[in-house]
Amino acid sequence: MKGSLSFNTIERSVVRNKKLKYTAISYSAILAILMNLASFQSPLIGSIASIIYLLINAMFLGNAFFEKESDFFRFMFGILLLTTLLGFVGWLALIIYNLDTLRVTLVLVVVATSSSLLNRRMKHRNVQK
Amino acid sequence: MYKNKHVFARCHRITEILYLLMVAFSFYLLLTSRTGEAHTIWEVLNPYFIPTLLATTFLLITILFTSEKVSYKLILVIAHSILIHSFFSIVLPAGDLSAQRMTLGRIRLVYDNAVLHGYTPWNMGLLSQIYEWFRGITFQAALSVVLARMLSIDLLWVHLFLVPVLWGVFVPVASFLTAKIISKEENVALFSSLLISAFPYATYFGAISVSNSLGFVFFFYSLYFMLKDFSSNDSRNKILMLVFSFFSLLSHNLTGIMSLSLLILALAFKSYKSEKNSSPTAAKASLLISFIFCASLLPLSFVYLRYFQPATYTLSDTAFTLNKFSDRPIEEIVGLFFLGELTYAFDLKTTLLFIIGPTIALLWMMLYILHFVKRSSDVEFKTCIFFVFAVLSIVLVDYRIMKLFMERLPINEERLWVFQDFLAVPFVALAIYDVRSSVKGYLNARPAPIVSIADLKTLSRRSILSLSSVILALNIVIPMFLAGWIALSVNAAYPHVAPLQTTWYELEAVKYIEENTHEKYVVIGDQWTTFAGEAIVGVNNPRAYYFLEFNRTVYDLFHKMLEDPSPQVMIESMNVNNATVAYFIVTEPRLGIEEFNRVVSQTLKNQQLRVLGVFGGGKLYVFAYKKT
Repeated sequence: MKGSLSFNTIERSVVRNKKLKYTAISYSAILAILMNLASFQSPLIGSIASIIYLLINAMFLGNAFFEKESDFFRFMFGILLLTTLLGFVGWLALIIYNLDTLRVTLVLVVVATSSSLLNRRMKHRNVQK
Repeated sequence: MYKNKHVFARCHRITEILYLLMVAFSFYLLLTSRTGEAHTIWEVLNPYFIPTLLATTFLLITILFTSEKVSYKLILVIAHSILIHSFFSIVLPAGDLSAQRMTLGRIRLVYDNAVLHGYTPWNMGLLSQIYEWFRGITFQAALSVVLARMLSIDLLWVHLFLVPVLWGVFVPVASFLTAKIISKEENVALFSSLLISAFPYATYFGAISVSNSLGFVFFFYSLYFMLKDFSSNDSRNKILMLVFSFFSLLSHNLTGIMSLSLLILALAFKSYKSEKNSSPTAAKASLLISFIFCASLLPLSFVYLRYFQPATYTLSDTAFTLNKFSDRPIEEIVGLFFLGELTYAFDLKTTLLFIIGPTIALLWMMLYILHFVKRSSDVEFKTCIFFVFAVLSIVLVDYRIMKLFMERLPINEERLWVFQDFLAVPFVALAIYDVRSSVKGYLNARPAPIVSIADLKTLSRRSILSLSSVILALNIVIPMFLAGWIALSVNAAYPHVAPLQTTWYELEAVKYIEENTHEKYVVIGDQWTTFAGEAIVGVNNPRAYYFLEFNRTVYDLFHKMLEDPSPQVMIESMNVNNATVAYFIVTEPRLGIEEFNRVVSQTLKNQQLRVLGVFGGGKLYVFAYKKT
């Protein structure tokens, strides 16, 4: 119960995204991924930055499309949509040119921006309803 | 009362912790089974693993019977699901030697920026180019490469665990959601999320990283949103069913066409619902026509696929045929009709494991339609059940059409069993739940409720015996039976016969060549060498060239080298990518000891060919020739 509450608190804070704080954190994670790819190539740094990126954007997407579902299913759907979106934008980048470090970073930026925008747009729509 | 609740909660926590420890122990046992030289995982699997898996599954089923929160139970099911789909990825150093390795070989090229616009190795027309983009491997390549770069982990690891993890997480959830819509019972849905592991073919596809497996995951979600759309007018369901159908198509044409068929059928069901009161005959006729159209889409798509495929594809001339009826005896035709490929290859136990789930589901579905659905006044519920029945019928019909009336198909028809398994699992869960409820009902109907052991004195000996047997059946026999079924199905899911998997010394040799060659190079070897190369550098990589698995040129070059190891053959091979170095690899277990010794001693006599390295304690030799 306590665990669920704390997850809810984090999720609410992320979804509220005051002053685009979490979008900024998501971009910082992308920057960390880029720097890691360019110099350190450490799986530890990569994993930490990726987990932060995945969590934030999964919460955005989960809330944008499944706000009526319970927190568990909202998060699961968020992860599924995020994976799908990463694959799709990556696929577009791949058929247009290729998926080198720079273009993967672009893919991450596009996905993070779309997730953040969808979260804001759907939040407004849900409030209006 | 409060104290009792507290004790129960504590018991739940202890059981859950014990279960998680057992899952961790199972992973550890898999890790200890990891080997560099084996044909199948069963040769090397720790003997304690299957008993541990059985006990772990038993514990999980008992947890599913408790009043714990659904989300916690689902997390435990997900852990179990990831475990049973990770055998290949954990035990074998480069995963299973199958289509998943070939997929990795092609994705490597994207990861190494060796190709542009995805894996398109031939000069093709526009239609073929579009076909390549939608082939599934391009989407999987994009997803794997993005994740590998994000995590800074080598592509091999991301590729090996991509499908086991995605399948392990999302298929039980989809199974839960679908079963919940069909049964409206959370307990049935939870059973369903676990029971998907009792279907061997689905388990196998969840264990190999191929684009078809990703397609199956998306297909399952498109099916869920179609079912959800019957009972809700939310436009998001429509968008999501379209989105997942699109990704199903992007992942694989089989799952894509199937999702498209289902979309059309779902629309037909919706229009039937709105038209049946005004013109019932026309509505029924339109539904029937839609059903026939949807059932014919998949077989027809394989025939017309040839217009998109490049001419270099060998299996593009799929056609309808009646030859199978004239070529084969009637017993075989009957066997193929009822059992499909199981007619040939498997023993009775394995055949039973493959067919028991779908058979129970089909029987229960019919029973449901005959007894409950007709009497029910819930229109959405009726539509859902009839829709699932119609989809299952399409899968059953299409499988028989492909098996008996078509030839030269680009895929094996048995892949349709995965659709069948997805559709069957909610009904199997429903059947088991109904049986359990009947037993429970019998217990509740006893005249004297048992509050404590002391009450037993008031009952006759016969009543005590019958009550204890019911309690035993509820809490021990049913979970034990299900756990045994799942463990046996896992055993049947992973192959028991296979060629020698890529060995540690083959991988080591390929890595050594890659790390110590700074020029363009080409490798002459058998197809097993190519499979090893695929794990590290890919195939057709212009910088580090391994020929395609079944390439005729490398077959000829390799056999020329075996007969007469000479620099001329090596020079000839260099033309393929303007390489300056060529390598010749021979491996003892692949060639046989005598042939291997002869080739090695003959090559060693040639002064122009130098030994680059000997691996696996003399089991593998790499010879090099550098253009001067």
